[in-house]
Amino acid sequence: MSPTDTPAPEAKDLTTRLEEEGEIAADYLEELLDIADLDGDIDIDITFDRAAVEIIADDAASLKHLVGRDGEVLDALQELTRLAVQAKTGERSRLMLDIGGHRAARRAELTKIAEEAIETVRATGAELSLEPLNAFERKVVHDVVAAAGLVSDSRGVEPGRYVVVQPAGSAPAETEAVADVG
Amino acid sequence: MLADALEHLVRGIVDHPDDVRVAGKTLRRGDLLEVRVHPEDLGRVIGRGGRTARALRTVVGALATDGPVRIDVVDVDRR
Repeated sequence: MSPTDTPAPEAKDLTTRLEEEGEIAADYLEELLDIADLDGDIDIDITFDRAAVEIIADDAASLKHLVGRDGEVLDALQELTRLAVQAKTGERSRLMLDIGGHRAARRAELTKIAEEAIETVRATGAELSLEPLNAFERKVVHDVVAAAGLVSDSRGVEPGRYVVVQPAGSAPAETEAVADVG
Repeated sequence: MLADALEHLVRGIVDHPDDVRVAGKTLRRGDLLEVRVHPEDLGRVIGRGGRTARALRTVVGALATDGPVRIDVVDVDRR
């Protein structure tokens, strides 16, 4: 191994910290599955500088009620898992939890919706409002729109908060859009 | 099972896991799970705007197989 293969100290620290986050989360979730007598394996990864933990089962239907309607239970479980990590490490966690590929599938679906909206906005030159989405879903759309060189921001109040896709060169309508990371 | 699951979920997020007690009661209108935690952990279990308590209810509700379950959070000093 050449010396250049050694990551910078802070990069290594981040990886170590995220691996630790993943392990704490896996322990927390594994015991929950055990108590609830649910089959499932825990997969730990690091993506986009976040710990990414997924519960996987051969029988995907068995985890369906852990996802819930519109991923409601999944979001609640992610919230608790982040708190469990924070209780052990003393630091806030931005860990992402997925169950049976739910978020991955939703991400693909939203990417398609965002791409169609981008095409429409390019063709008409007018802004386009999408259906209300949760924080994770809005983030996916904002990322796709930004990558295409257009502008987007979030309007409305939860749970009715929605993304507006605007033509390239539009000034961001509200400063709040910048703060809306989630 | 639900009481055990709730106890595990709460123990994982508090500073005093050994003080966590969950008692199940059957009421006329369904089951009640009463969570007792150390006074210092009360805010953490309830969360800002009740966010954490709501997450606990959502997850336990999803695990419940027969009927709705109510969850109350109280501190250990309260009778």
